[in-house]
Amino acid sequence: MAAITGGSGVARLARAVGLAAGLAVPTLAGAAAEPPIRVGVLAYRGGDHANAAWEPTVRYLAERFPRRGAEMVPLDLAGMDAAVQAGAIDFVLTNTGNYVELEARHGVTRIATLQSSHAAGSGAAIGSAVVVRADRTDIRTLADLKGRTVMAIDPDAFGGFQVARGAMQRAGVDPYGDLRELRFSGFPVDRVLFAVRDGAVDAGILRACVLEDLAAEGRVEAERLRVLEPRAVPGFACAVSTDLYPDWPLARLASTPEALAKEVAVALFGMPADHPAARAGGYQGWTVPLDYQPVHALFRELRIGPYADLGEVSLLDLARRHWEWLAAAALALLWWAIHSLRVEHLVKVRTAELQAANRVLLHEMAERRRAEETARERQREMDHVARLSILGEMASNLAHELNQPLGAIANYARGCTRRLEAGAADPAQLAEATRAIAAQADRAGEIIARIRDFVRKRASRPEPMDVNESIRAAIALCDGRARQRNIPVVPALDGDLPPVLADRVQIEQVVLNLVKNALDATPDGGAAADAAARAITVRSGRDGDGRVEVTVADRGHGLAPEVRARLFEPFFTTKPGGMGLGLSICRTIVEAHGGRLRATDNPGGGAVMGFVLPAAGPAANEEPHHAR
Amino acid sequence: MPADTVPADPVRAVYVVDDDPAMRHSLAWLIGALGVPVETFASGEEFLGAVRPDRPGCLVTDVRMPGMSGLELQDTLARAGSLLSVVVITGHADVPMAARAFRAGAVDVIEKPFNDQMLLDRVHEGLEKSVRTWAERARRDRVLALLARLTPRERQVAELVVAGKPNKVIAAEINLSLKTVEVHRHNLMEKLEVASVADLTRLLLEAG
Repeated sequence: MAAITGGSGVARLARAVGLAAGLAVPTLAGAAAEPPIRVGVLAYRGGDHANAAWEPTVRYLAERFPRRGAEMVPLDLAGMDAAVQAGAIDFVLTNTGNYVELEARHGVTRIATLQSSHAAGSGAAIGSAVVVRADRTDIRTLADLKGRTVMAIDPDAFGGFQVARGAMQRAGVDPYGDLRELRFSGFPVDRVLFAVRDGAVDAGILRACVLEDLAAEGRVEAERLRVLEPRAVPGFACAVSTDLYPDWPLARLASTPEALAKEVAVALFGMPADHPAARAGGYQGWTVPLDYQPVHALFRELRIGPYADLGEVSLLDLARRHWEWLAAAALALLWWAIHSLRVEHLVKVRTAELQAANRVLLHEMAERRRAEETARERQREMDHVARLSILGEMASNLAHELNQPLGAIANYARGCTRRLEAGAADPAQLAEATRAIAAQADRAGEIIARIRDFVRKRASRPEPMDVNESIRAAIALCDGRARQRNIPVVPALDGDLPPVLADRVQIEQVVLNLVKNALDATPDGGAAADAAARAITVRSGRDGDGRVEVTVADRGHGLAPEVRARLFEPFFTTKPGGMGLGLSICRTIVEAHGGRLRATDNPGGGAVMGFVLPAAGPAANEEPHHAR
Repeated sequence: MPADTVPADPVRAVYVVDDDPAMRHSLAWLIGALGVPVETFASGEEFLGAVRPDRPGCLVTDVRMPGMSGLELQDTLARAGSLLSVVVITGHADVPMAARAFRAGAVDVIEKPFNDQMLLDRVHEGLEKSVRTWAERARRDRVLALLARLTPRERQVAELVVAGKPNKVIAAEINLSLKTVEVHRHNLMEKLEVASVADLTRLLLEAG
């Protein structure tokens, strides 16, 4: 349907454009002087008829405006609309229906109305006559037209089809829905009368007074025809089946200067009733503009003209008139469809992309987890290697450490054997010896457990603990070495410390490392007298912020500045055969516990290595916890 | 009583010095199987403050100890003229340490872990040696005490008698009458509680 409308619309537009182009030439030609007054005239029956009927009226105006002159522009309905829209004319002389439409669409204003020769007392002169053959007794009212064949001249004719349609609809007959057939004959008007007379159609629609005019001319026999529902209108001489409406107006365009419009109106009002121009146009001069509201009411009722009909033909007209909008709407619809498809496509593409991104993300998360696990595993390995390395360095101490209880056990056992063999065994004494054996076996077992515990590969397991326990365990592990070197390791432990949240073995590892480093830093000295001067002091206590502090102070060679700067670096060592991992790992451990490892000089010689740990419990929250 | 007899039942003991309580107690128990009294001390200083220096005995000491080491203890005892034999026990024996111990008169340097029989043999040996030394010293002390009884003239006569000179010659050499020489000879024999020139000769030899 849209395609059909578009096709007809294009044809109509082509005509309108052709007319507008033709109009442009005189406009440009007259541009030098004051241009003539241009009057657009509805040429509903072609240019010749219009010239004959209306040329004299325009010439009358030209005579009244000698300086400007006036010219007539004959236009069909579409051409009229285009010319008004383009402002190519100054005034419009058109039929009542077209005027109402132009008024609504383009704001033209009537300045005078034709005084019809047939006019009723009100001045209104336009109505319709629905004509049947006189012998058609079966058709008496407009309502009887239902199911009949009806002919009119033109669907756009106001005084004719449009007015009759209003009356028929009020009578309950929709010309487009209820008739058997509706035909339009076109001009000349007598075709309708002939068709009715010859029985080709059941009824014909004519402008009021046409029948009377043709009868006066002797072209039809009036007595053989009958007008349906003829109305008696005071002062109106013709038979009419409908209300009467005002005759043609002369209207100015919105752009036409008001002064000019006033002068034109005055000139028209001054035209005598018998002026040749009036006679040529079939009217009796001009009068003040009549009220066209009834026309608006009719159009509203019929939903035509500016009140867009929903009827098939009018809709088509509307579509033709507004094809640009329809095209735009179609384009918009197309655009919307394409847009929807595109959006849908984009959504699919985007969804796919998101899913892909999701997969990548999941993969990356798994990768990162793996990497973190690997890093943790590596850290565990490092810890482990560091502990093994400390233990390796202290293997001889450990041997000594174990030899003590084992040697004692051997002594007790052999002492027992000898007494038993000599028969000199005192049971009480033997019992005491065997108890001592068991105690020493326990002692050896503890040492082994301690070593195993220390060396075992394990994850960090922080729990509230007494830091002094780790210190004692660490001192026990290196006690043998210290004694061998005749270096006293003196614990100075604060018995009233808050617990720390820490891994017992890791803290033990740190303390052991620090004590071992202190032992390594202390030179050998044979004499018993200076042993006290070489003592290593392991101290626990609280620092100013309530944190637990552990320090290991030695009287060794101290720290050279270049050594101190690199002290905690991995693989930095001052010892032949050392791995350089000890302090680096100590720092990692201490910092993982939210603490700090530091090295200072010992006043009076040597170094103090120490670390602080946040106290567990409420106080622990004050210190940021850097656990891995 | 003959001059060369050893005093019966000399008071003797074994002393164990080790800073490790288990080690010193177990050593005491093992050595106690020998049937000798064993006393234990946690350090060299403690031992020096408690021991009777005039008694024979055997010291068993560890080398590595806090405070005074085993070798320092040995030196101190030696300087004091101790009668005690010393057996050194060590976890890590090295040549310089062993040499020093032996120079200071150690019976042996025993490395842990040790054979118990060897330790007991060494302790036994040390005790014997100490008792022997103690006995020798006791004998010599007795001889010196006897000699101290003599007057200078009697001592002079005794030396000439031991030199095998007859009384007549002695009288001539020191310008005394024969009679006087004979009196001195009789007196000194009595004072030194000897009956013959042979006994007198042995006694003076012991005195050096």
